[in-house]
Amino acid sequence: MSAALQNIINQPYKHGFVSDIESDVAAKGLDESTIRMISAKRNEPEWLLDFRLQSYAAWLKMTEPTWQNAHHPKIDFQAISYYSAPKQKPKLKSMDEVDPELLRTFEKLGVPLHERMAMAGVAVDVIFDSVSVATTYKEKLAEVGVIFCSFSEAVKDHPELVKKYLGTVIPTSDNYYAALNSAVFTDGSFCFIPKGVKCPMDLSTYFRINTEESGQFERTLIVAEEGASVSYLEGCTAPAFSSNQLHAAVVELVALDNADIKYSTVQNWYAGDENGVGGVYNFVTKRGLAQGVNSRISWTQVETGSAITWKYPSVVLLGDNAVGEFYSVALTNHYQQADTGTKMIHIGKNTRSTIVSKGISAGKSNNSYRGLVKIAPSASGARNYSQCDSMLIGQESGAHTFPYINVRNNTAKVEHEASTSKIGEDQMFYFAQRGIDAEAAVSMIINGFCKDVFQQLPLEFAVEATNLLSFKLEGSVG
Amino acid sequence: MSEATLSSSSYLQSLLNGQARPAASTQVWLNQLRSSAVETVSELTVPTTRDEEWRFTDISLLTKVSLQPALVSNNLTAADIKPFLIKEATTRLVFVDGVYAPNLSTAAKKEIVVSNLYSELAKNSAVLQQHLGSHAEIKGNAFTALNTAFLHDAALIMLPRNATLKAPVHLLFIASQKEVVSYPRTLVLADNGCEATIVEDYVSLQDEAYFTNAVSEFVLADNARLHHIRVQREGAKAFHIANCSAILSRSSNYQSVNVAMGARISRYNLNIRMAEGAECSADGLALIKNRQLADTHTFIDHAQAHGISRQLHKCIVGGAAHAVFNGKIMVRHGSQKTDSQQSNHTLLLTDKAHVDTKPQLEIFADDVKCTHGATIGQLDNEEVFYLQSRGLSETLARNMLTYAFGAEIIERINVNSLKHSLEQTVLEQTSTQL
Repeated sequence: MSAALQNIINQPYKHGFVSDIESDVAAKGLDESTIRMISAKRNEPEWLLDFRLQSYAAWLKMTEPTWQNAHHPKIDFQAISYYSAPKQKPKLKSMDEVDPELLRTFEKLGVPLHERMAMAGVAVDVIFDSVSVATTYKEKLAEVGVIFCSFSEAVKDHPELVKKYLGTVIPTSDNYYAALNSAVFTDGSFCFIPKGVKCPMDLSTYFRINTEESGQFERTLIVAEEGASVSYLEGCTAPAFSSNQLHAAVVELVALDNADIKYSTVQNWYAGDENGVGGVYNFVTKRGLAQGVNSRISWTQVETGSAITWKYPSVVLLGDNAVGEFYSVALTNHYQQADTGTKMIHIGKNTRSTIVSKGISAGKSNNSYRGLVKIAPSASGARNYSQCDSMLIGQESGAHTFPYINVRNNTAKVEHEASTSKIGEDQMFYFAQRGIDAEAAVSMIINGFCKDVFQQLPLEFAVEATNLLSFKLEGSVG
Repeated sequence: MSEATLSSSSYLQSLLNGQARPAASTQVWLNQLRSSAVETVSELTVPTTRDEEWRFTDISLLTKVSLQPALVSNNLTAADIKPFLIKEATTRLVFVDGVYAPNLSTAAKKEIVVSNLYSELAKNSAVLQQHLGSHAEIKGNAFTALNTAFLHDAALIMLPRNATLKAPVHLLFIASQKEVVSYPRTLVLADNGCEATIVEDYVSLQDEAYFTNAVSEFVLADNARLHHIRVQREGAKAFHIANCSAILSRSSNYQSVNVAMGARISRYNLNIRMAEGAECSADGLALIKNRQLADTHTFIDHAQAHGISRQLHKCIVGGAAHAVFNGKIMVRHGSQKTDSQQSNHTLLLTDKAHVDTKPQLEIFADDVKCTHGATIGQLDNEEVFYLQSRGLSETLARNMLTYAFGAEIIERINVNSLKHSLEQTVLEQTSTQL
């Protein structure tokens, strides 16, 4: 059985091509002049340069964390290029002016940039290496007051909003990689949903790394004002290089009274080959601040790519009755390593959080769930339910759980459960008996295992995630 | 920062040099064991909350207590220890402030050895050399190293092949002096197929601060069965730090129940290493109030296949007390068919009580069944209401539910008189808290 299983897992990465696009790549290395260069290239105002320089100063004082359950050679931060952009004219007016090679790239990836061809009802911001190349449906969104644009445009057009919220959820000195990002971030997406507006369509950002030896440091900021709601999707891919690329993004969400933010990620960065050579280091800081009463922040992630995934999308539940959710599927194969989970910080009264994490480890990979549920003394009536299940495929893989539960209020109710299982011979036999071959059976079992999470994804993403998972697992069952 | 490191390493040095180290033994290996421990202590510092293993347990209070060498004169009489005696236990070893008290003990020295280490050292040198200090890891563990540096005597139990001890063995460690440090040590060697119940009991005759730093080693040969009951009822201002290692050979069975209710700050590390087909249970109850801190760290290591482990750990936390539980279960590469279950339930009785818990699973084999669960909360109002509807007062209803919560662990103790006296203690403590 295991030979066929193996075959199912070991499918090649189909997004591993490199686009031949002329790029403007900065020289490798990082010092203050690099930051000034990035800032100057992007015509940034003085306050943003100060923000970067402060972050850089903080970063210099910090040391790389080593507590994670993942191992990698020391990263040489001077061997990375901190800026890479497709060589291009000033911002384009219409999609038709976009470099055809770039359009082909995204078409190949299944992300249509032409609005007429776009998936009905999804606005897309596309980030290629360091810059945003296109944002669709901007005008239509503007009609209802929703601002959805690249980060650099936001800095230009809505500086007061960016200034008000940037760095408020994740302070510049929060952690090593967040500080680095705050110093050198290049582009990203900005969303602002004004008071009382339900965003008429899903918003989405598509990230692509194209240049070898460049790092991607994007910054996303989503603000939902009183009573607003939005669903946001994020997807990522990178070419197959034999060297490792660093991706250190920062995502900040702010939800005011009665606001609702749903953030979904399908992460499929290049994971390295079957011997663990190459792949993206995905070291991301994501945090939401459920600031207002009855606000709600929900993270859903499907993590299938990256040589190392290291991130904890978190929610700070500050407002009374705020709700935090985290739904995650992390799949690792070959030599991939994942140390992911969430933090739910309960501060407001009657705050509730739900954590559902599904880890699947195959090959020689290691998959860790690390989570924190913290109930502050002020969080009376807080409620948390966590569930983290692991599935192991093959004898060489590892599954780990590190749930931290800190409770300072006795009216809180916290529950945590975890289990480990494998695809049983009897399950496979049952499928075989019904005439379903091993591959389809494994795919069904895994999809069943992950159902609780996939249900949370918007429809198109759910389909993509299901395919992605069965595709990644092709060859691992037998 | 360097100043802090200096003071914490000098604290260990002061413990190391604060009292006379044991005189050189006739056994060369024992002297070597001690001197390597002395060396290890010199390299270490007192753990702080910056160390992951001590993240929630701040023992800086301990470093502020000045500790004197214990006076050896022991003039306790049988009447003094009467309240602590277990009626079923026919053999008993009593240590007062870490020193063996033969006048209070009832030893056995024939085939079954229940005695103090010092008197058996020459006779059983080879087997003692093989086991003493080789299971309790001193590397990186300042407290085990300190205990080993002062290793002079110990409670020793040696069970020959297929021996069955019907009556439990009572190891009673009494603290009688204030501001002293004692280093209780226990070694249990259970040969193939033997069966016994051992009660490790820490009590106090006074209420001032003192420090107990205990180390126990349990070695189970193939098919051996041991019940290990551990009761920590130290004085209210005491510091209690203990390390226990249990080594389980093929198809052996180790059942452990650990009750922690005393001490201002207590920490218990239980490490269980399991060979093929071994079974273990590691149950625990921490019943604390006021400003007590009780920390239990367990590490169940499924080193080989077909092991079965069960763990139920409960905490009842009142006053402004703080409970810590860290339960790690490791399933090593190739330990297929492991079956492991862990549960951790905490009851917070007051609004100042708090808990930090971390049930941790590390799995490197695919054909295993592992689950863990943790809950934290207060008594269910519906349950209280149900009892009230049957005519009980609210206080009584709450006491009864709290008692029942803790009794689930106490009931697992297979020594009746001890079980009943602990049940009584739980009942008293729960009724005074509300």
